[in-house]
Amino acid sequence: MVTLSTDVLVIGGGATGAGVAWDAALRGLDVVLVERRDLAEGTSGRFHGLLHSGGRYAVKDPHAARECVAENRILRRVAADCIEDTGGMFVATPWDEAAFADRFVQGCADVGVDCEEIAVREALSDEPRLNPRISRAFRVPDASIDVWKTVWALARGARQHGARVLPYHEVVSVNRDGDAVTGARVRDPRSGEEIEIEARVTVNATGAWAGRIAALAGIEGVNVLPGRGIMIAMNHRLVNTVVNRCQMPTDGDVIVPIRTVSVIGTTDRLTDDPDDHTVLEEEVEQMLDDGEKLVPGFRRARALRVWTGVRPLFEDAKQAPSDTRDVTRAHAVLDHKARDGVRGLVTITGGKLTTFRLMAQETVDAVCAQLGLQRACRTSVEPLPGSETGRHYHLGERLARKEAALAGEQMVCECELVSRAKLEQAIDRFPAASIDDIRRRLRLGMGPCQGGFCIYRTTGIMHARDGLAAEQANGVLLDFLQERWKGSWPILYGDQLRQARLDDWIFQGVLDVEHLPR
Amino acid sequence: MNRELHYDAVVIGAGVAGLVAATRLAQGGARVCVLARGVGSTHLAPGTVDVLGYAPDAVREPGPALEQLAASQPGHPYALVGAGVVADALDWFVATVQAGPLPGYGYVGGGLELGGRYPSALGALRPSALVPVTMAAGEAQQLGRLCIVGTPALRDFHPSLCAANLAAAGIDARAVPVELELDRADANTLGVARRFDDPGWRARFCARLAPLLGGEDHVGLPAMLGLRDPFGALADVEQRLGRRVFEIPTLPPSVPGMRLYEILSSALRAAGGRLVLGAEVVSGRWSGGRVEAVVTRAAGHDRVYAAPWFVLASGGFASGAIELDSHWTARERILGLPLRGVPPAGEPRFVPEYASEQPLARAGVAVGGDLRAEGADNVLVCGAALPGAAPWREHSGEGIALASAFRVAQVVGELAGSPAEATA
Repeated sequence: MVTLSTDVLVIGGGATGAGVAWDAALRGLDVVLVERRDLAEGTSGRFHGLLHSGGRYAVKDPHAARECVAENRILRRVAADCIEDTGGMFVATPWDEAAFADRFVQGCADVGVDCEEIAVREALSDEPRLNPRISRAFRVPDASIDVWKTVWALARGARQHGARVLPYHEVVSVNRDGDAVTGARVRDPRSGEEIEIEARVTVNATGAWAGRIAALAGIEGVNVLPGRGIMIAMNHRLVNTVVNRCQMPTDGDVIVPIRTVSVIGTTDRLTDDPDDHTVLEEEVEQMLDDGEKLVPGFRRARALRVWTGVRPLFEDAKQAPSDTRDVTRAHAVLDHKARDGVRGLVTITGGKLTTFRLMAQETVDAVCAQLGLQRACRTSVEPLPGSETGRHYHLGERLARKEAALAGEQMVCECELVSRAKLEQAIDRFPAASIDDIRRRLRLGMGPCQGGFCIYRTTGIMHARDGLAAEQANGVLLDFLQERWKGSWPILYGDQLRQARLDDWIFQGVLDVEHLPR
Repeated sequence: MNRELHYDAVVIGAGVAGLVAATRLAQGGARVCVLARGVGSTHLAPGTVDVLGYAPDAVREPGPALEQLAASQPGHPYALVGAGVVADALDWFVATVQAGPLPGYGYVGGGLELGGRYPSALGALRPSALVPVTMAAGEAQQLGRLCIVGTPALRDFHPSLCAANLAAAGIDARAVPVELELDRADANTLGVARRFDDPGWRARFCARLAPLLGGEDHVGLPAMLGLRDPFGALADVEQRLGRRVFEIPTLPPSVPGMRLYEILSSALRAAGGRLVLGAEVVSGRWSGGRVEAVVTRAAGHDRVYAAPWFVLASGGFASGAIELDSHWTARERILGLPLRGVPPAGEPRFVPEYASEQPLARAGVAVGGDLRAEGADNVLVCGAALPGAAPWREHSGEGIALASAFRVAQVVGELAGSPAEATA
C-alpha cells in the first residue's frame, strides 16, 4: 500500500476543504486533500450560487451578516474571476410584511451592508419581469459565484504551492494513536486501491458529514443536522440581478441569475441522512408558487433541473431542531484537543458558502496552534489563480471567445458553448473521468437540451480519445443519461417535457441505447 | 370576419401520419388541406419504417408479434387498426415511394415477415421493417467484414464507438476516419449531404477513402448520401469503392427523413392536396359534438378553415400538441379533446429510473375503435397523438403513423359515404 506523509490532511473537497488546503499551502504547510467523490460534488456544488451581501441576515442574524459583508468584499478581490457582479435587490411584495422593510434598512445600516432604496419604477425598469406590485426596492451588493470555478481555483492554487489534491479518495478509517489522530486510510472507490496517509494534523472539513468522520476518529457528539433544500434552475435569465424577498429568511425567497440560468431557492427540511436527495412534489409546487410572486409567469417559463443541497447545521443544544433555519447558520471550529483531549484533529462545520474563506482561515489558525506555528493567513490578499486581474466574469464571455473562432471550432455542446478542443483538453487532463465529472468543469449538458445532443458526441469523442472499451463507453453514456434524468423528472412539464421526449426519441429511438452490448 | 376556406377534409400536422392521411384522402377524391406549424417528425427520425422492434423482447417477425401485441393490449393503436391495415399501409407506402420524385430510391426489407436489424450510430442493432435502399446493405445478417467511416469534422457520428459496439456484437467491424473537404469545422450530415449531391465532390471523397480500405466488403457511412439523387450517389460510391455501401442514421437533422418528407409531400401534391406550413392551428369552432372549422394563426392574422372532417395528426408530447402544464394537468392544446392514459392526480407521472417505462408514456387523445376522438364525431386521430403506445421504446413509430393514417382515410371514406353523414 502507498503511504503518504504530510503536515495537514484535509478531508473534504468542498469550498471549505479546498479553502483550507489553499490557506494552509499558502502558509507553507505540506497538504494532502482527499474527497470521496469529485471536488465540489457535495453541498458546495449544490447551492444556488448566491454570494451574500449580508442583507439576507441583517435583521435575523447580525453576526452572520457582518461576516458576509466582509467576506463579500474580500472574495470580490481574490476570487474575482469566479464572480459575476450581478448586484442584488430586496423587494417588498404584497405577501411580505410591510413593516419589515424599515427593519431591513436599519439592520443593513447596523451591520454595514451597502443598501440603497430605489424607486419601484427604477427597479422595474432594471428588471422588467419583476412583479409590478412590489411596494419598495433596495439595492445591495449581492452577486453570483460559480462554485465549481472557485473550488478548482482553490485546488489549483493549493497544488501550485505543493499540495496534493486527491478526488475520488474516500476515508475508510481515521487513525488513532492513543490520544492523537495520526491520519487516515483512504480508498479510491473506482480502483479499490488504498492509501495510508500520515498527518500531523487532520482537518475534518466534511460539512454535513462531519459527525461521521468525527465518529471514525472515536469522537462522539459532533452533531450536524443535515438541512435539505431544493433548488430549481430555470432556463434563461429571468432576472439579471439577484432578487430577494424583503422579509425574514424563508423558503423560496431568492432568485439568483448565474451563468445561463436563474436559480430559485430554497426549501428547508430536516433529514437524518446527508446523502438524502429526495425532491418532494410539494416542494416543487412551493418553489414555483414562490417564483410566481417575484416573477409573474414563472410557471410558464421552462424549468431545466431540480437538485437538493444539504446544509450542515451545527446543533445548538438549547434549541429544538424543528425548523433547521432556526439552528444557527454560524460555523464552528472544533479543536478536539481542547474539546475532547484528542490531538491532531480539527473539525470545521456549519457556515455558508459566502464565508468559506473565513472558515478556512480560522481552521488553519487552529491547525497552526496545534503545530506550535505562528504563520499569518494570506488568503484575504492573495488572488486565486485566474483572478489576478481582479476582473469579474460576465455572461457573454464564452460567446465572445467563440465568435472570434467560429468557423474553425466544432461545438460539442451548443447550449453551453463547449468546443471539441475544450472537451478533448478535459478528457486528457482527467483520464477516467465520467461525463458528469466533465460537466462540472465545462458545464457540458447543463443547457436546455440537458445533453440530448452532446451526450452521444461526448461519448464518441471520449471513446476515440481515451481508448475505452465499448462496454465502458456505453456505461459512461448510460450513467450520464440517468444522472440527467435524476434532476429532470420531478420538474418535467411544459417545453422541458417536449425536450425530454425528443431526447427519448434520440437515445431510444435513433441510437437504441437500451440494446447496446453491456 | 375572416374569409372561410372550405375543404372536404383538413389534416392538422405534417409528419408521416398527417401527410399519409391527407394523401390517402386526396387519392379518394377529397379536397384536402394540411395545416401545420412546421415540418413534422420526419426531420428528427431516422427515416426508417419501424413497425415493431421490441415487444418488449427483440421481435424477429413483426407480423405475428403485432397480432399478439394487439390481442394483449386492446388499447394499443395496432389493436385499433388491425394487422391487415398495417400490411396494406406498408404496401401502399412502398409503392408510393417507388413512384416518387427520387429516381431509384425506395424502401426495402423484410417487412412484416422478417424484421431486419441495422447499425445505429452507437453500434446497437436497430430493428426496422423497411429501410431506404441506401441503408439496405447494413442488415446485420448479411454483413461480412465491415468498415465504419466517419470524419472528425462531423460531430454527429463517431465511427470508433459504432465499430466497437458492432464488434462486441460479433460483427467484424473497424473504424476508418477520413478527412472531408469541408469549409467549416462543425458540419452536420445535412451539410455533407448537399456536397454528396455533387458528383465531383463524391469522386474526390471516394479517392480519399479508397486507399484507407482493406479487405472489407462493406462500408458504413453516416446517413448523408445526398438529397437530390441518393440512389445514384449510392451506386456511384459503391462502384468507385468496389464495396457494398450503406447509410447509418444519426442525430437530427435527418437526411433520410428529409427525403421521406420530400417524397410524401410530393405524393400529396400529386394527389391534389394542399400543404400549408407555418399555419399553427390554435383553436376549433364547435357546434355540438362536431368541429365546424379550425383557426390558424399565421403572419399576424387568423384564418378559418371549415370542413366536414378533421384529422388530428399533430403528434404527442414531443410536438407540444399535448401539453403537461406546471400544475400537472395534461391537455390536448388544439381542440381540447379528452386524453387517455394520463396518470390520475397524486399518482407518479415519471419514475426515477430513466430506463424504466414512464407512467405518462402512453398518454394520448382518447379515441374509439374507429379512431374518432371521444367527444368529437368528425375528428379522427392518427400517429403519435394516439394513446396506448410507447413508440420510441417499441420502435413502432412509423408503423403506427402509416397504419393509423391509412385507417383514418378509410374511416372517413366509410362514414362520408353513409347517408347520415352525406348531409353534414
